[in-house]
Amino acid sequence: MEKFESGMAELLEVDTVDASDVLEGFEAWDSLTSLSIIAFIDENYGVSVSANDLVAAKTVGGLKDLVLTKAKKA
Amino acid sequence: MNLSFHNKRITGMLTIVPAEEIKFEDEMENYNFSTAKSLKLKAAMGYNARRIVKEGVCVSDLCIHGLNYVFDNGFLAREDIDALILVTQSPDYLMPATSSVIQGHFGLKQDMICMDISQGCAGYIIGIFQAFMLLEQEEINKVVLLNADVLSRKVSKKDRNSSPLIGDAASLTILEKAEGSGRITGNIRMDGTGATALMIPAGGFKLPSSAATAELKEDSAGNFRSLDNLVMKGDEVFNFVQREVPPMIERLLEKAGVGRDEVDYYMFHQPNKFMLNKLADKLNIPREKMPSNIVESFGNSSGVSIPMAITYNLKDTLKDKDYRMCLAGFGVGLTWASLLITIGHLDFCAITEF
Repeated sequence: MEKFESGMAELLEVDTVDASDVLEGFEAWDSLTSLSIIAFIDENYGVSVSANDLVAAKTVGGLKDLVLTKAKKA
Repeated sequence: MNLSFHNKRITGMLTIVPAEEIKFEDEMENYNFSTAKSLKLKAAMGYNARRIVKEGVCVSDLCIHGLNYVFDNGFLAREDIDALILVTQSPDYLMPATSSVIQGHFGLKQDMICMDISQGCAGYIIGIFQAFMLLEQEEINKVVLLNADVLSRKVSKKDRNSSPLIGDAASLTILEKAEGSGRITGNIRMDGTGATALMIPAGGFKLPSSAATAELKEDSAGNFRSLDNLVMKGDEVFNFVQREVPPMIERLLEKAGVGRDEVDYYMFHQPNKFMLNKLADKLNIPREKMPSNIVESFGNSSGVSIPMAITYNLKDTLKDKDYRMCLAGFGVGLTWASLLITIGHLDFCAITEF
């Protein structure tokens, strides 16, 4: 899953991300970034998440947990 | 479900586009976003120019223009039309059917059938299915399939979610009986639990348009739209397409016994470049076999984007050659449908401006 952090950093246009970083707090955060993250997760983990899921997951770490949980169920 | 047809072919295709072109940059100031963010959106989605109708222009206007074109050029005789199908989500009236209005405009023969089909992004394929079913009838030899939408009239200019992608257009396809055409394979699925993923909430009988439904309201992403406007849940639609379309194409090819490489072109509905490229990658199809160049020049004109992709990319060769094509449409309903068909040696294949 280390690819998760680097992928998120790229999409959020920063060098690195921390688990505690709030998604909506990033300068690059908007609906396009949100869609790009949804596509990134679908492509790499075969998991569908909604825009609301992202907001509810709140942080980078929260989103990673969600993806892991969903990937396990699939 | 799987569908199959025999002894039918498409004999002509015409796309009608409005002459009025709007550039993405000209509309950026309508949106609640920085220039940098808007340009990022433009690059990711492949937005550039789109064609939209002038105020007051209806689906019937585009269709009548197209029919005049084929009549005037001698591609079609009025008395030969046994069925007129119009696929649209933006009809002239709630009643009567716009296909009847068009029939009346031209004074076409009474011994024929007119029907409107309320379908969007998968509508072109559903229209072909319907045309093929009608052609099973002894007395129906020639069907004119019209597919047209003027949805720009229903999109809020302050909605960055939908406004920069929507385009208006119409297409005219002639379908006929043809001995020895080989098998044509199709499939279709629907999921009405997703009926609100793409919708125009007001203006029907459930919620008639009023001053209250015309009021613009801001959503959580900073877009302004009213209940009279088209609204799209972009993330739900994206997930639906990525989940359902690749397995649909696999089922279609398997049913037809055709390998992925044996298809010359994958002519898919054109929602935006982002989604099409993701689909091509997921299906392991070279991007050059799946054109995604419609949105950047014309916008997303719902179901019309499929015949537009065919005429725009292949108009120079489609009169002399045959190509095996896999068509796919997916969207409002939710509906997703695909068709494996050989198209070529057309009597006409053109684009005309209105």
